[in-house]
Amino acid sequence: MLALLFIIFAGLAVGCAVAVVAQRNPLYSAVSLIGVFVALACLYVMLAAPFIAAVQVIVYAGAIMVLVVFVIMLLNVEEEERRRPRLRFLVPTAVVMAAILVAETSFIMYSVRFSPFTPTDNISNTGITSQIGTGLFTRYLLPFEITSILLLMAIVGAMTLARRSLRLSPTARILPGAQVLARDVLTRGSPEDLTAIEADSSVEAARVLGVEPPIKREDLE
Amino acid sequence: MNLAPQLWWYLALSAVLFTIGVVGVIIKRNVIAMFMCIELMLNAVNLTFVAFSSFFQDVSGQLFVFIVMTVAAAEAAVGLGIIIMIFRNRESLDVDDASILKL
Repeated sequence: MLALLFIIFAGLAVGCAVAVVAQRNPLYSAVSLIGVFVALACLYVMLAAPFIAAVQVIVYAGAIMVLVVFVIMLLNVEEEERRRPRLRFLVPTAVVMAAILVAETSFIMYSVRFSPFTPTDNISNTGITSQIGTGLFTRYLLPFEITSILLLMAIVGAMTLARRSLRLSPTARILPGAQVLARDVLTRGSPEDLTAIEADSSVEAARVLGVEPPIKREDLE
Repeated sequence: MNLAPQLWWYLALSAVLFTIGVVGVIIKRNVIAMFMCIELMLNAVNLTFVAFSSFFQDVSGQLFVFIVMTVAAAEAAVGLGIIIMIFRNRESLDVDDASILKL
């Protein structure tokens, strides 16, 4: 029964992982990656680690993937176009190194294959939340505190990186709300006119609307 | 058939996932796709940690997973900030466009 569950979840994880790499649209890759995370969470439950499974779903499938999908949406990512790969001469090297990687991992698997250890059953104490908390606050207290400093640095770094520069160029102009008006509002009198309105700049938007020219930013200050 | 999953099953799955992640990082050119493949590799390592923790009856492995997840969250925040800055400066997410690491 457990073996069947393992095969189901492992197959789901590997299939979704292949889909992550094979998809050309990053959004589809993100959805496949969520599938990998959920399958791994199920495997953690099978390994009697319910806390890690919950954190996996909350932190990975929740927080991190929301961030990734948000960035994908924000940046309007187009699909990867097929280009001729550069560095073609590295392909044999890559094949050799992949073979070495597979050999190393299979050696490790061979080594532990006959290990006498038995897995934790769901009755034992290993992996329950209170034990993890005890470990975090006694033996691994220093790494835990360092983790908090790391998170603080990540917050400050991310804000510093993503902050938009406050100095606008002198030609930047602001006409609040003009560029978000729908075409129906802009050309109410001519419904058969289906040409797209170029409203890239505030000046054009103002011309279409027939309003005053946009206000310069320095006039506001 | 009452066959329980052995330790090397989990290690094999982890190795496969890690290799897929490595392949993705190498063949992908989109920065966000490479980023997701890195997350995949981190998850493969996490699976190894949890498997050993469960089979050795030792909770330390799960604590390491906890810390790895924290590092992954921090990496996501900073990495996506860097990706946004790259996109703002270059209007592209292709790593080949950012290969000289300067403007």
